[in-house]
Amino acid sequence: MRHRVAALTVLALALTLATLAGGVSGQALSGEYKIGVLEPLTGPLAGEGKRHLEGYEIVRDMINERGGVMGKKLVFAVADAPDPTAAASEANRLITREGVKIITGTFSSRLCGAASEAAARHNVIYWETSCVDPRFNKRGLKNAFRTEIDATGFAWYNIEFIVKHLAPRLNIRPNQLKIAFLSEDSSYGQGVTESARQRAKQEFGMQELGVEYYNFTTINDFTPVIVKFKQAGPDVVHHIAHTNDSILFWRQAREQNFQFKALVHAGATGYGSPDFGKAHGDGANGPFALLEPGPGFKIESLRPDGQKLERDFRDAVKKRTGGDAQGGHQLAGGGLWVLKLVLDRARSDDLDKFRAAVTALDLPVGSMINGWGVKFNDEGQNANERVQHYMLQWQNGRLVTVWPEEFTTMRAKWMPLPAWDQRK
Amino acid sequence: MDAAARLGPAEIDVLAQLGISTVLLGSLYALIAVGLTLIFGIMRVVNFAHGEFLMLGMYLAFWSFTLWHVDPYVTLLGAVPLFFLVGLVTYTGVMRPIIHASHNVQIFTTVGLSIALQNLALVLWTGDYHVLRAWHASTVIRIAGTAFNLSQVIAFAVSVALTVALFVFMKRTHTGRVMRATAQDGDAAVLMGIDTDRVYRLTFAIGIACVGVAGVLVAPLYATYPTAGLQFVLLAYVVVVLGGLGDMVGALLGSLIVAGVEVVGSYLFGAAWKEVFYFVLFIAVLMFRPAGLFGQRGAETLGV
Amino acid sequence: MRLRLPRRRGALAFFLAAAVAPLVVRDQFFLDGLILVLLWGALSSAWNVAAGYGGQVSLGHAAFFGIGAYAAALLSARFGQSPWLGMLLGVLLSIGAGLIIGYLSNRLRGPYFALSTIAFSQVLLIVASRWRGFTAGSEGIPVPFRPGFATLGLSHAAWAYLALGVAVLYFAVQVVLERSRLGYQLAGVREDEDAAEALGIASRRLKVLAIAVSAALTSICGTLWAQYVGFVDPFYVFSVDLSVRFALMSIIGGIGTALGPFLGSVLITSLETYLRATFSGMKTGFAGIYLVIYGAMLVLVVRFLPEGLVGLAARLRTRVTGPPATAAP
Repeated sequence: MRHRVAALTVLALALTLATLAGGVSGQALSGEYKIGVLEPLTGPLAGEGKRHLEGYEIVRDMINERGGVMGKKLVFAVADAPDPTAAASEANRLITREGVKIITGTFSSRLCGAASEAAARHNVIYWETSCVDPRFNKRGLKNAFRTEIDATGFAWYNIEFIVKHLAPRLNIRPNQLKIAFLSEDSSYGQGVTESARQRAKQEFGMQELGVEYYNFTTINDFTPVIVKFKQAGPDVVHHIAHTNDSILFWRQAREQNFQFKALVHAGATGYGSPDFGKAHGDGANGPFALLEPGPGFKIESLRPDGQKLERDFRDAVKKRTGGDAQGGHQLAGGGLWVLKLVLDRARSDDLDKFRAAVTALDLPVGSMINGWGVKFNDEGQNANERVQHYMLQWQNGRLVTVWPEEFTTMRAKWMPLPAWDQRK
Repeated sequence: MDAAARLGPAEIDVLAQLGISTVLLGSLYALIAVGLTLIFGIMRVVNFAHGEFLMLGMYLAFWSFTLWHVDPYVTLLGAVPLFFLVGLVTYTGVMRPIIHASHNVQIFTTVGLSIALQNLALVLWTGDYHVLRAWHASTVIRIAGTAFNLSQVIAFAVSVALTVALFVFMKRTHTGRVMRATAQDGDAAVLMGIDTDRVYRLTFAIGIACVGVAGVLVAPLYATYPTAGLQFVLLAYVVVVLGGLGDMVGALLGSLIVAGVEVVGSYLFGAAWKEVFYFVLFIAVLMFRPAGLFGQRGAETLGV
Repeated sequence: MRLRLPRRRGALAFFLAAAVAPLVVRDQFFLDGLILVLLWGALSSAWNVAAGYGGQVSLGHAAFFGIGAYAAALLSARFGQSPWLGMLLGVLLSIGAGLIIGYLSNRLRGPYFALSTIAFSQVLLIVASRWRGFTAGSEGIPVPFRPGFATLGLSHAAWAYLALGVAVLYFAVQVVLERSRLGYQLAGVREDEDAAEALGIASRRLKVLAIAVSAALTSICGTLWAQYVGFVDPFYVFSVDLSVRFALMSIIGGIGTALGPFLGSVLITSLETYLRATFSGMKTGFAGIYLVIYGAMLVLVVRFLPEGLVGLAARLRTRVTGPPATAAP
């Protein structure tokens, strides 16, 4: 028995070393153009990572139906990046083994830093569609580009919504609005919340009643926080949440009869995740989440070419998942589409030509999926104003688009939120 | 937000609510810790996969409810024999071969098990967050300015009952005494004619049955997802060490202490520091009463 | 006595192969893998000093790793200093941390000790993730890449040789430790602390020393890692997963042996990389399969090779050179 085990182990060792030392597989047969897709497909971020991958795949098929990129069929080499070391390592693999010249991904701030570094060392283009770390573009990396806004952009939109839309309907002036901040403590939560606090206070003089952070993987009970908040009595709760914590908080807030006028969140996790609605059913009514456009979105408000794209995208998502497009799909899919536009223009993945094409691109809001426009700055960041974001609200089991009003048929309800059992 | 206000009626309400939360949360922790203290206490194995068995219990409750509309408290009855069986199988297949190996080997076996189970759940049921919407989790009970829900009360009741039952089992029954003897001195136990393999197998099975039950009870209160075990596992270890290995009542008391530290610490200083509080408490207890607050003195030097 | 032979020859073969590989294999992915194998191996051998030789199985070594990573990253990103300076700072801080944890948990054994080290590393994690003003909190620190040796901005090949140098150094440290008087005393403390005390060995001080040395060595590699990967995230660098990883490689390879951590690193790193590369491209939703396989293999390897790969090698050698006096089962 031991003999066999020993032999097997040695064999396994030899095999693994052989694989590592093996040859490069390189670019596929002509007729195909391969890019690398790096997402967390295992670990605590797996749920979102999978949705992003789905979004990529859906738009890839749309792209291929329209002639592909640079005249070739777009194909993916997918890699899992559960942590920063794996992200760097897999980025290396995608570049050296799969021979890709462009890597896209990676959803999480903790991964995009390492992955883009690895890509930079090989002079490979790194096309980020989701991570919100504000420093991503400030490292002087010529190869790093981001289609999505960063944490300060999220915060900007949230406060904009609160001040321009919510406050008037609550009959409260912004500088008299009492706001409490609650947030999960990862880079995402910290980044958005701190930016939001800053804008709320400095630009509008909102009254901050308190800030509470927590670790979303270990939070078991929000009661102490809720008790504190109840004593303070905020008008608005700004809660940046991951998914399990949003579900818990909402349940406990109802239990403790924590009455506030509105809750605002940003992003595709937490209140922006379909799991929140499934968890609470009609009880989920009320909270706002900053996302890409959902039901109610007036596709006619887009430019003509944008309309066709958006309709096709939604149909494709429905066909594949049976449901509405989720934030993850929209961010990844939208980002991939912009990449296609750049490649069509540059006709090359050479970094200089690519950069030139990126900076030359200039499309107004409403031009493509999600109603986005495109205008990158010198640092490779797509402008806040072009990447239109929307405020969605849970209404009767659906996350519907309610703001800006010119883009949607639906309107925000329950401002202020009535008692917990009266939100129909 | 000035938390340290004077004691008026509103403040009493706050204290009452915090108190109730502590007790209810503590009982949940006890449910999870009781199985661990058995396994850790008697077999001296640091079971890294403990959180994963909890997660499996949660999924059992969720799927039974979603697919067959079985209420979790009915699932509970089935969970006991089911997880007992799972414990037996896991012991025989995974733990027994390494029971006499070094502790490092044992730890890393459970690490491997933990990784495998987490990802099995991920593959089978995806990373989506599932919630079991049972009627009792939305049934809110309000007493004298405090609020909590029925599921919590039931979990509390089961927790106390389980702790008492195990305590009686360990102290009064023959098997219990045999288990304790094996824990105290495995070699002497063998010399006394005890089949330690049987003892370990039973211990492990009971421990897993306990944590499976905990999972079912916890399911209505929290979201179910592959890494759900992480929410509780480190904390369960803190509880077990605080309370003394193998000590049932110690586990209950330790749970209440940890919950209290969490709740009060969160209220006074913010939820971001909650883990720091009980880790610091943990380190302090280990420095001054290493066998735990209620454990036997000197037990920590036995360690291995 | 006999066990030394396979180690020396095996070690020689291993390091020689690692030295020659970058010259022969141009594939960057292989180089990246080699660098990681050597780095993880070095980290694991640093852990081995405290655990394998000192008998203190810590599951909180990420604390020292994180300190090393942060010291260099902060000094480099915030103050524009060379990461070598950061490395020195990290070493000093880690020794301090090692002394503290060593002293605090001095009387603890086995699982109690392990849990206290976990607690310690988690406290550091939370502090790092909350201290926004200094460590940028949860958002972590991007480490600037400036080409040059002084700034540790190296090519893959250069990294490979640096990692190799560190690995050889750590291997040498272990061998020297093993054969020194200090090493024998440590072994005594490890096997039976009370007996060692009775013999007049200052066991408590020795244990703290072992942890401090181990901490310093771990910290150095933390700095190197931060410079190599380019991003320091508190939830990763202080994680329990990382601490377990350091320990795992030594256990798989052979705890308490000098070559063990490196062999373990080869197996684990290769296995992980291979499985991830092969399976993550599969149909969406099956990504977790490779980890199920990985976990299952861990269980199997740990069970069938309880003395690790070094033990296996020794057994194979015994088979080749002839059976010992007592018949094997």
